Amino acid sequence: MTMRFLTIFLAFLASISAVSAAELRGPLGNPATPVSGIALSDSERQTIRQGGYKAALVWHGSSTWVNALTAGAKAAFDELGIRLVGQTDAQFDPAKQASDLENVMALEPDMILTLVIDGASVKSSFDKAVKAGAELVLLSNPISGYQPGREYVGIVTDDMQGMGVAAAELMAEAVPGGGNIGVIYHDADYFITNTRDRAFMNAIDSGEHGAFSVKAKRGFTKESETSSIASAMVLQYPMLEAVYVSWDAAAEGVIAGLRAAGRPDIKVITHDLGVNNLVDMAMGGNLYASVADRPYEIGYAMALLGAYGILDKPAPAFSVVGFDKVRRDSIAQVWQSTYHTPLPPLLQRALQQ
Amino acid sequence: MLPPEKLNKHAIANAFLRREYFVYYVFILTLLFFTVTLHDVSFFSVTNFMNVIRQTTPVTIMAIGLTFALAGGHIDLSIGAVVALAALVAALLLQMVPVPVAVIGALMVGVAVGLINGLLIEWLKVSSLLITLGTMGVITGVARQLTNLESVPIIEPSFNFVFGSGSFGPVSVLLLWTLGIAALGYLLLRKCRFGRHLLAVGGNEKGARAMGISTIKVRIMALVLASSAAALAGLLYAGRLHGARYTLGEADLLTVIAAVAIGGTSLFGGRASILGAVIGSWLMGLINNGLILSGFSTNEQMIARGVILVVAVAIGVKEQQK
Repeated sequence: MTMRFLTIFLAFLASISAVSAAELRGPLGNPATPVSGIALSDSERQTIRQGGYKAALVWHGSSTWVNALTAGAKAAFDELGIRLVGQTDAQFDPAKQASDLENVMALEPDMILTLVIDGASVKSSFDKAVKAGAELVLLSNPISGYQPGREYVGIVTDDMQGMGVAAAELMAEAVPGGGNIGVIYHDADYFITNTRDRAFMNAIDSGEHGAFSVKAKRGFTKESETSSIASAMVLQYPMLEAVYVSWDAAAEGVIAGLRAAGRPDIKVITHDLGVNNLVDMAMGGNLYASVADRPYEIGYAMALLGAYGILDKPAPAFSVVGFDKVRRDSIAQVWQSTYHTPLPPLLQRALQQ
Repeated sequence: MLPPEKLNKHAIANAFLRREYFVYYVFILTLLFFTVTLHDVSFFSVTNFMNVIRQTTPVTIMAIGLTFALAGGHIDLSIGAVVALAALVAALLLQMVPVPVAVIGALMVGVAVGLINGLLIEWLKVSSLLITLGTMGVITGVARQLTNLESVPIIEPSFNFVFGSGSFGPVSVLLLWTLGIAALGYLLLRKCRFGRHLLAVGGNEKGARAMGISTIKVRIMALVLASSAAALAGLLYAGRLHGARYTLGEADLLTVIAAVAIGGTSLFGGRASILGAVIGSWLMGLINNGLILSGFSTNEQMIARGVILVVAVAIGVKEQQK
């Protein structure tokens, strides 16, 4: 019953999402397919259930986003009778991820779900895992030299390109017709944020969404830097009408800087969902809108792909999950599709005000 | 042999070049440099200086606290982690209890961590570096566990006003916090018996013990002050950001240590300056602000910040050796 509900729910999400999968291609040029195509028949589920398989999650870091990812994977594991034997957090350190992988391999997992921080430097550790027969399912980042169906089952990822374009569309909503904006981007080599930021900039520069003038463009490497950057930006360019910032936690500093500068009129557009900023949005603060992906859905799909690998079932090489535009009126709905948890009480209160 | 008038001139020159004044000269020079180079972007304005104060206050408060620990010959690496834990405790308590109770609860986190650090260091006779490295890990883990990495919003307007977001005209409450805590720190270190005992313990422990000073008690108190200041810094972050998250303060430790060292406090005990710590932290904030306004890229900012720090510390150490 739960499985049927989830299948219908995932299909529903896929149908309403703004996936621009057709424009995306995987690392080896494989066409992107919507994640809704990943499914197991009743007999395949039965086979997996009877196998008593084990899984490990070798994550890149930890955050509420990773928690939702894990929750999605666990939901699928529970349905399929797969035992989760290990879970690691590499804290964005490739060397630690290599050690983590070696450690979980001692538990002999049949499948490993992972986001590889640096596909080149951890390759030798993953080679051992592949040799040991573990089915690899990758999140977003490829591993150099690896082929789908050979070393790994498939890649599941966000529609990063689509998310960047959606942020530009929200910017056009926040400042109709265009205007003066500031951009605070992630100044580090990180595929997901770089792709989203670049897609946003390209969409803004294309002029399709209005006559925008990017008055200031500043990079940051740590979230704690964005408050100083926003304060300086507003001081130098008081004519700014909106600011784009790479992700939610970094936007907290931007909003604090704008509050301190007494500029409730400057709107902020960002990616991802965080309670602090959603409370700001709910209470009519600086945050105008955000673009949120669906980590729970990613985790669920990755687990199913792991089962594909065990069953030797041909799997899509590159699957993409959708995203949602979050405005004040859709906070509750998007929260559910992103995290699959109840709306935090404080956020509920803020929305009622 | 120099004639008396020349000796006098040397004495005056030496007085001006004393180590403890060094941070003020660097601060003034940096201020002048950015004022001239950034004259077209409102660097020298009340609004911008208030920006610097607002961004720097938690670091300043932590620097004042750390000055006490260093004065007694200890270092406290756990202060960054205390910031996050105290902020989260305050944010969670604010959902259940009145503001004063939540504030006291958060500050108690600092007191408790300081006590634990102090007791472990003094009982085990282990380096403060190692003990506080360990407690830093424990507190970071607890802060992450407490809310399962979720941020906790604060919608209590009075808390947000008092602890960071409020202002009286152009004057941010954070400036008042800085001045208040600096004054309190100065009085404790310079005008109270505790401060004199602490400097004596940090400078010459055996001598201090021979004088009848309870070195253990004094050092534990200094660590409690360092942790409590970090807890207060956590409250100030939470008030400014209208919420708390487990990452607060994690990037501050090195900035705080640099600010205190540049300000003239010895990293090995016995010499401390509260005003130096305040100006040292303002200097760090000023450099950060000036570099951003100058339009440097992130990489260039890192290089410039590093070079300025090395030059500042090198000149300071040379002066000390003289």
